[in-house]
Amino acid sequence: MESRKRRAFFDIIDEYFERFEELANRLEEVFFEKPSWNCKTCTIEPLREIKVTPNEVIVTVDLPYAEEKTIKVIPVGKDRISISAEMKRKVSFDDFGITHYKGEFQRFHCEARVPVPVYTDRMEVQFKRGMLEIRLPRKHEYEIPI
Amino acid sequence: MHNTIRIIDKRDAPKDAVMIFGFPDVGLVGVIASSHLISELNLQEVAYVDSDLLPPITVLHEGLPHSPIRIFGNHNVLLAVSETVLREDLVYPIMHSLIDWGRSKEVKLMISLSGIPIPDRQDLEELKVFAAASNPELLKMVEEKGIEILKEGYMVGPQAVMLQYCATLGIPAVTLLTQCFFNYPDPEAAAKVLERLMGIIGLKVDVSKLLEKGEEIRLKARDMMKRTQQELMKMKKTQEFDIPLYIT
Repeated sequence: MESRKRRAFFDIIDEYFERFEELANRLEEVFFEKPSWNCKTCTIEPLREIKVTPNEVIVTVDLPYAEEKTIKVIPVGKDRISISAEMKRKVSFDDFGITHYKGEFQRFHCEARVPVPVYTDRMEVQFKRGMLEIRLPRKHEYEIPI
Repeated sequence: MHNTIRIIDKRDAPKDAVMIFGFPDVGLVGVIASSHLISELNLQEVAYVDSDLLPPITVLHEGLPHSPIRIFGNHNVLLAVSETVLREDLVYPIMHSLIDWGRSKEVKLMISLSGIPIPDRQDLEELKVFAAASNPELLKMVEEKGIEILKEGYMVGPQAVMLQYCATLGIPAVTLLTQCFFNYPDPEAAAKVLERLMGIIGLKVDVSKLLEKGEEIRLKARDMMKRTQQELMKMKKTQEFDIPLYIT
């Protein structure tokens, strides 16, 4: 009974932090809007979505034109993952009908912030019909700083 | 002019036409489908929305300014499409104005094209299209065309306002919703909704190009999808996943 209560308490705290992280991510998007492309690095930022379930975090990334063999998912620190992929063909602003910018893109790149602790060494990656899916098991341990 | 919505006619609109709506929503299904219809049927701009309620945006095409919300058409089809996501507070006034305009042109049927988000969409090979309608006769008609009825649930966004307002005014209206991604542009879903639209109004449109250009469309539509996501969150779009409490 006591352990159930304690778990419930930690669940509430956990949920609170998840909500706070979600809000922080939204604010980051709103206040730090930037183009979805970078001419210097010739990269395009793909659309992505992060879903937190009780047991895992699922990150999906839309990668049209991506060459499957070149997809890299690399953990960066404790709470971020870097995702990159080469494109099958170069895409330029001209392809979008845009003439006031110049530049070519041949790579996708983005960094995704994982809002809860996860085991990055146990992640599973799947690529299907241009959609990348990364599954990261959640850590349910609490570190109490002394 | 303050706080008003004007629809400015550029050329004569046909009478007894079918009016189609394609607005930014989940998977950008309606916008992608509409864009394909405009190019395949060579639809011409018939009218546009002018309002100081809209954000200060003009869309440049070939160096010329255009309203982000326009109505295209030919001799039997009218198509209202938006190149910018509608702010939550503008959904009602804009949709009401467009429907009132369509009513003044004696439109015989209104159809909105959109999506219904489904988890694990990437695992689906065959997408289902669902329909809701403004009256029982139309529901029967779409069911006879092999389209499944969305019997219970919530609908959020421009298509919800369109269906409700048409039902109130007694205008025949149908909403077609294809299973799609929530947050990613979905050209396959757009092709599917067009196939069903053709079945209802007897239109012939080749959707093969839409499927061939799927990756290109997904790449081009990223920015619009991102802005649409932000507005959908404000609109509480996820309510469509909710199980309703039935009140009879």
